[in-house]
Amino acid sequence: MALLEVKNLNKTFGKTAVLKNVSFSLPNGRCLAVIGSSGSGKTTLLRCLNFLETPDEGTVYVNGKLLYDAARQKAYSENKVRAMRTHFGLVFQNFNLFRQYTALQNVTLAPLLAAKGDKASKEELEAIREKGRALLKRVGLENKMGNYPHQLSGGQQQRVAIARALALEPAILCFDEPTSALDPELTGEVLKVIRSLRDQETTMIIVTHEIRFARDIADYVIFMDEGVIVEEGPPEQVIDAPSNPRTVRFLERYAET
Amino acid sequence: MKSPMKLIAFILVFVMAACLFAGCAKDDASSDSAYVQDKGTLVIGITDFAPMDYREDGKWVGFDAEMAEAFAASLGLKAEFVEIEWETKAMELNDKNIDCVWNGMTLTDDVKNAMETSNPYFNNAQVVVVKSDAAAQYQNADSIRDLAFVVEAGSAGAEELDALAIPYKEAATQADALMEVAAGTSEACVIDLLMAYAMIGEGTSYPDLTYTVKLNSEVYGVGFRKGSDLAAKLNEFFAASYEDGTMIAIAEKYGVLDSMIAQ
Amino acid sequence: MVENVIKALQGGFLVSLELFGLTLLGALPLGLVISFGSMSRIKPLAWLTRGFVWIVRGSPLMLQLLVIFYGPGLLFGWNVWGGSDSGRMIAALTAFILNYACYFSEIYRGGIEGIPQGQREAGQVLGMTRPQIFFRVTLLQLVKRILPPISNEVITLVKDTSLARVILVYELMWEGQRFIKSAGIIWPLFFTGVFYLVFTGLLTILFRRLEKRLDYFTV
Repeated sequence: MALLEVKNLNKTFGKTAVLKNVSFSLPNGRCLAVIGSSGSGKTTLLRCLNFLETPDEGTVYVNGKLLYDAARQKAYSENKVRAMRTHFGLVFQNFNLFRQYTALQNVTLAPLLAAKGDKASKEELEAIREKGRALLKRVGLENKMGNYPHQLSGGQQQRVAIARALALEPAILCFDEPTSALDPELTGEVLKVIRSLRDQETTMIIVTHEIRFARDIADYVIFMDEGVIVEEGPPEQVIDAPSNPRTVRFLERYAET
Repeated sequence: MKSPMKLIAFILVFVMAACLFAGCAKDDASSDSAYVQDKGTLVIGITDFAPMDYREDGKWVGFDAEMAEAFAASLGLKAEFVEIEWETKAMELNDKNIDCVWNGMTLTDDVKNAMETSNPYFNNAQVVVVKSDAAAQYQNADSIRDLAFVVEAGSAGAEELDALAIPYKEAATQADALMEVAAGTSEACVIDLLMAYAMIGEGTSYPDLTYTVKLNSEVYGVGFRKGSDLAAKLNEFFAASYEDGTMIAIAEKYGVLDSMIAQ
Repeated sequence: MVENVIKALQGGFLVSLELFGLTLLGALPLGLVISFGSMSRIKPLAWLTRGFVWIVRGSPLMLQLLVIFYGPGLLFGWNVWGGSDSGRMIAALTAFILNYACYFSEIYRGGIEGIPQGQREAGQVLGMTRPQIFFRVTLLQLVKRILPPISNEVITLVKDTSLARVILVYELMWEGQRFIKSAGIIWPLFFTGVFYLVFTGLLTILFRRLEKRLDYFTV
């Protein structure tokens, strides 16, 4: 059974249809890469899964249970939406670290607030901090825990952002072009972290324009164009031997750069 | 400036220097007519005070304004009107920002001490102004004691209330004091009778106000710098102008002939 | 003489200080309410609020003082404030608080709209509630952004308190000026200037300290 199942997602901004009948499923522990040119709707897809945008039509199932049904969107209260979000983590293109907090505080802020809301004991709170330190160590930043975002390089900031997303233990971790805001020499350290997550069988959706990286890491690739899934399948098929002319054209353009 | 302390120190030094400079600027006024002849203008300090000095079509008119123009012309000078803060008139005079104060000025002891004054030319009084519908209750000096008064700060009216030990609030001008009474934020004010003629009662800016008690009687004069010879020159001019009828004609024009003093 | 002057100026200073403190106390929170109104999704409310802010910011505070205090009496024969010192103070505070709240509201609006949407979205995807996002993420960044323009307005307010004298609230400036009168002494005015300078100087230092305390992060 698939961990995530998305059926017939539609999203319109004004008169522009950004997502048209997007459906896919993702088994537990697998990595899905979404590729396509800018404006193809791939970022909107991620934002819909994290409920930063409200899909106009469609349903989302997690673990076989209906999580979201656009037909009932009016019935979802703010608290309900927050509960729905806990299944997903999102790493932004621009990191979006909280400016006034250190690396460690960025990682522990949300879990600590949630725990305090549940009247957690001192030991439990300390455990959250300990876990935050472990996560930062895991992304290679044990020496930068007390640094503020402006004291970190882009690659370091993005690694903090990944640790922050992991701290809430989401079932599905989403990446929105995690390296496109980085200088080329800094992308390697971020990709390395994502690769290690893949090795630990974290369920992931990666929106990326790093085609080579997508082929390396993904179990399954979706190519989107103008809000539609044009081609999908294992990377050997979609990237190495595309059948749709639009995919071919996109990959050719990518190869030139 | 890096630190605010430095900035403050700088400004303090500047202020002190300005004080010293102001202290040095005084000189004697023995040759005041020579001084005004030299610059060719007579600068006349006034306030907007109908019917003595007021603006009409961008020009200063009124009894005092016309007399001042005529006096300046008789000396071969150009008259220049400058609006001043009434409270600081003596200072303006001493600093030579103006050459005379010619604005229905009551000749109080303070004024006579601070300035060289002309012969009196008008009879005036300080009158209590209240709303017309309450006027009947306030026709004598005893009845006004408990009114909430407002007067122009430093005016002759303020002196009269001081003498009667009646408390009051101070306003910046007589016109402001009138507005307080009209708005009901004060119950009464004290202004010049000559101003009351022009400003209150039917057909004026404040038709609902009226004057009741006269607190004193007093006279108007023109003020020059202490020791100035221009005061004597003006007395001669007043006499000549009264003689040939010009002064009377002007007084008639502004409806104030009844109050004029023979020169 | 010096003693009399100092005593009078102290009295005036206390009135100025009262006006200053109570205006801030009222205008800082009211400004936030007005800024929410001007950013409201209910369009008529937003237009109405912005129109009000435009009128208040676009006309002189002195005019507002005169209209608020004398307007009811002169226009409707209904003097709402009374003529007592406290009535005048309340009228002055009404005008000052409304005026400064409108200025503050625009500063708040600029600050709130200037915070990148990503900061809020990051909080949302981490499952934080709206109040948590506002108090734990947005607020401090907002404070850091608006501190310099707010400190400008606060220092302007110190000097603007002198306008209250048009409705006969005898603040520091009036007390300094009354000594000039016919006697023509001007030095009390310089003392007045020193009062203002020391007060604004202290505020400048205070605001610089606050800004320094928020130097540890950038927005």
